[in-house]
Amino acid sequence: MAIPHPREIQMAVVDWLDERYPFTKAVDEALYQRVPNFANAFYYCFGGMVFILIAFQLLTGVLLALYYVPDAAGNPAPAYTSVQFIQNSVYLGWLIRGVHFWSANLLIIMVLLHMARVYWTGSYRAPRELNWIVGVLMLLLVLVLSLTGYLLPWDTKAYFATEVTIKIAGLTPPQQVGMFLKELLQGGPVVGPPTLQRFFTLHVFVLPALIVLLMYVHFRFIRAHGISEPL
Amino acid sequence: MAEALAPRRVTRRTFLGWWLASLLTATVITGLAPILVYFWPAPPKGQKKGPINIALQTPIDQLQDGNAVKFDAPRSPNSAFIMADGGGDNAPGELAFGGYVVNNQGKVNVFAINCSHLGCSVALNEAAKTFDCPCHGSRFRLDGTVLHGPAEFPLSHLTWKQGPNPSAIEVDGIVLGF
Amino acid sequence: MSKPEILKPGPGATVAAPKEVQIIELDGHGGGHTLEPEWKRLPIGPDHILYPVVVGLALFPILMGDAGHHLADDMPDEDTHPFFPDHFWPYPIIALVMLIAVGLLAAFVQKNLQLEPSADPRAVTIPRPDWYFLFLFQFLKLGPELVMSQVIPGIVVGALVLFPFIDAIAGPRLARRLGWERWPVPGRNIITGTVFVLGLLYVAFLEFWALAGPQFCLPYLTGPICGA
Repeated sequence: MAIPHPREIQMAVVDWLDERYPFTKAVDEALYQRVPNFANAFYYCFGGMVFILIAFQLLTGVLLALYYVPDAAGNPAPAYTSVQFIQNSVYLGWLIRGVHFWSANLLIIMVLLHMARVYWTGSYRAPRELNWIVGVLMLLLVLVLSLTGYLLPWDTKAYFATEVTIKIAGLTPPQQVGMFLKELLQGGPVVGPPTLQRFFTLHVFVLPALIVLLMYVHFRFIRAHGISEPL
Repeated sequence: MAEALAPRRVTRRTFLGWWLASLLTATVITGLAPILVYFWPAPPKGQKKGPINIALQTPIDQLQDGNAVKFDAPRSPNSAFIMADGGGDNAPGELAFGGYVVNNQGKVNVFAINCSHLGCSVALNEAAKTFDCPCHGSRFRLDGTVLHGPAEFPLSHLTWKQGPNPSAIEVDGIVLGF
Repeated sequence: MSKPEILKPGPGATVAAPKEVQIIELDGHGGGHTLEPEWKRLPIGPDHILYPVVVGLALFPILMGDAGHHLADDMPDEDTHPFFPDHFWPYPIIALVMLIAVGLLAAFVQKNLQLEPSADPRAVTIPRPDWYFLFLFQFLKLGPELVMSQVIPGIVVGALVLFPFIDAIAGPRLARRLGWERWPVPGRNIITGTVFVLGLLYVAFLEFWALAGPQFCLPYLTGPICGA
């Protein structure tokens, strides 16, 4: 029996897959999408950099969640000691946490640069208005992610910064609504363990899911519209 | 387009459509209501209100005119004080984790530590005989009234009683239960 | 409708490149983006050793749906380039460079990652947000809390969200009133450009004011206001 050439095996697999779903057509479409040459300017890559940074965030975030304990009861709280543990004891914990931290900072810069590029090239104009709105919503989500992530180490500056944030939410008129929002965010009469749990839930489950969903919408819009015409 | 211009009449079909839509909405709201209630925080076990005994560093009778002594809420059990009044960021029923006993021309007042602007802890300025907020620069007189903005409301009072000896007071508060 | 013949078949196209390329139109989006019928044109075809590597790119059209009719479809071939590899190759490099950059930052700028003592509501500190909220923190000192913290930021965010419509509706009206021929494009628009630059300058000013610290005070309507 002749031993099949690896290429034949590969073709057999591809053929098998292709009968189930037109993968080669999809690959062809992805590979052969034509892109205008002017889109090679460096400032067209900020959006891609934002995407890469969000990927870093998701990956390092999952790794951090392996050791982080969202519990703020007592002093020092387990949340605090678990972050200390990640930073000082876990192998390469400082690197994972550092990448998460610095990528978050870089992310905000890149989002703003991307926005500036979109403004400058007029890429927000018809028919791309909805994509601009989705983008602004994602900017807000990134800021809220930063805000909620800031509390998680449960150190003094995190605590007081969050207290101010929640106070600002509590200013919403009328007073009853403000109080309602404040207690809802705090999960009690003061910033305490319930607050950390709520912020943790937002930071780890709700907001990443939302931002991934919006990214999907963003990319579908881009794919439907293509690169905007030069001005 | 002629249909759109014709006067609208409620047909059986539109009526049934609205009827079903309202039924569906009502069902969804009924289903979601328990979730909204779930968001509302229940007090943790062991949370209870009551007077908190505080030992002051300077007994009240030794507190000189224009001086104040700071005290913190106990850590164990983790407790906080309940404000009796207040405006701006403070409000009656809000919690404070510290306070000052002030002797202002012979009258003793107990204030919550939080600035009425955004709740930072005020500090006693002994030279000027004021409470200064380090955050946004608000200043209060020793009777709690505003000397300088951005705060618009006086400091909040705490409800208190003299304890068994001059260096002990009982302040209304809450054991947080966490 | 005719397409120029394919001049350079890729390495994967050696199997059986047909002389005449039959062009099919993808259904679903009223004629526009055209594709070659087979993978014959690919630089990396299904029989290529690297094909399994590029299969990941198929996720892109599978998840993102049909491509619409794009600008590049109407441009001459010499003014466009294929997405893969000509447009794609910088991104893995960018990703690697950024990973190295944040890794180096993590290794050498540990100061920002050091924790303060565990949170205690009894501690007396001045809360100071991270740099991206610092200008808002400074802004908060300049007026009534509600207006500065919710009304004005709300208006700014609202204007940002609605900017495409403001630009498309209010802009031309303003241009007509000013007697301009038309509302200029963003790059040459003196009005929106000035608004954005002044806005950013104001944010930068607030940021540096806050960074200058609590000893640095500037006069204001209600008296001197210091940094954070």
